[in-house]
Amino acid sequence: MSLFEDIGGEAAVDAAVDIFYRKVLADDRVSEFFDTTDMEAQHAKQKAFLTMAFGGPNTYSGKDLREAHKTMALDDGHFDAVAEDLVATLEELSVPQESIDQIVGILGSVKDVVLNR
Amino acid sequence: MSNKATGSNGVADKPQALVTYENETIALADGESLLDGLTRAGHSIPSGCRVGVCQACTMVMSEGEPSSICQKGLSAPQKALSYILSCQCKPDRPVTISRLSAASQQTQGKILSKDWLNESVLRLRIKADLNYRAGQYVTLWQGEELARSYSLASVPTEDDFLELHIKHVPDGAFSPTLCNELQAGDTIGIQGPLGKCFYTASPDQPLLLVGVGVGLSPLMGILKDALYKGHSGPIALIVGATKASNFYLQQALGGLAKDYEQLTVQFIAQSVVRAIEQPTEEPIDQLNSSITLEGDLYSFCRSNYPDLKGYRVFLCGAESFVTKMRKQCFLSGAGMSDISADSFISFQ
Repeated sequence: MSLFEDIGGEAAVDAAVDIFYRKVLADDRVSEFFDTTDMEAQHAKQKAFLTMAFGGPNTYSGKDLREAHKTMALDDGHFDAVAEDLVATLEELSVPQESIDQIVGILGSVKDVVLNR
Repeated sequence: MSNKATGSNGVADKPQALVTYENETIALADGESLLDGLTRAGHSIPSGCRVGVCQACTMVMSEGEPSSICQKGLSAPQKALSYILSCQCKPDRPVTISRLSAASQQTQGKILSKDWLNESVLRLRIKADLNYRAGQYVTLWQGEELARSYSLASVPTEDDFLELHIKHVPDGAFSPTLCNELQAGDTIGIQGPLGKCFYTASPDQPLLLVGVGVGLSPLMGILKDALYKGHSGPIALIVGATKASNFYLQQALGGLAKDYEQLTVQFIAQSVVRAIEQPTEEPIDQLNSSITLEGDLYSFCRSNYPDLKGYRVFLCGAESFVTKMRKQCFLSGAGMSDISADSFISFQ
């Protein structure tokens, strides 16, 4: 089974997205990037992000990820904050450590693209 | 354009996947999505992830039965309005598709009555043939250029008219004509219904309805719809306004609260909406003494409803109010898909 199926597929994304979005909104290190008037659109973006991080079907190309983030002047601290919020979300949902490690690995693989390096 | 729908494996007894869009009929190839078919035919359709997550390609299936796959992830109101994700939709029989903005059609209504609910809110009742959900809104037209949107306070299963509550803006472009010139018997152009803020909930789910100013109007429709449909869970309606004299329908709501024990209604006079509602020239000491500190509506909700997990929330009013209150309710535990909102955008 793939990681995505392993942790519950789309149902896992649905369970995680509200919890994760609340955490980044409450995280002073990154909340400015998530605090928008169009919360529904931002919520949809978080779902796409989680689908990718969980190893699910997505068509995020490296170029999309780079384009979407390059004007935000992000650094390692921002990246780590989001990763920590995601790990805390997964722990809250009792996702097994092995799956969390795999997800952290997927995040690490896109770090340079997101930080436009 | 070549017809690719007849594929290679013979389709004599299989209904053909035909898509009608903007008066043109396109045959889909076997397994082809609506989005791909329309794009192939030269139409520019907004799209994003193409896996049914981002919802950028949402359209309306005006004829045909949407499958659960092509509505996955949409809210209950969106599903009820036959919204579909065109990237996920692979119909096996003829369907008609339209863009969201073109989905509503204009009709003519006849003004039945006008009366004032308070010094600045006019109740307008219109006879029109419109299939709507309580809480949706319509766009009224004066001529071909001038249009404004107003929420519906009526309930289609109870009322044989459309009821709109018009905030009279003396130097506005639209409301003075409605309030002062149009008379019972006159006709007016109506477009709609629009909006996805309407009652959908489990009968025992707690409901929180919060509105400012004429945001009460769609909430009134949603509230009555819920009550008439037998909603048994607790319902809290909270209405905010700049000053107490801006409130309206207090008696009608008081009567409802008496008749339905699951309903509580609270009016909060506050100053926070002053900047976003009509500016007032009155000095502060002449305003009603029930005005409390700025932000009181928000702190009232926060202290009285600190945990909104499991709640169904409806928010109606000025955009700044909806934005702030939506965030507050979400952070208090309401699920994003359980919050419906209708933002009133001010026109210049």
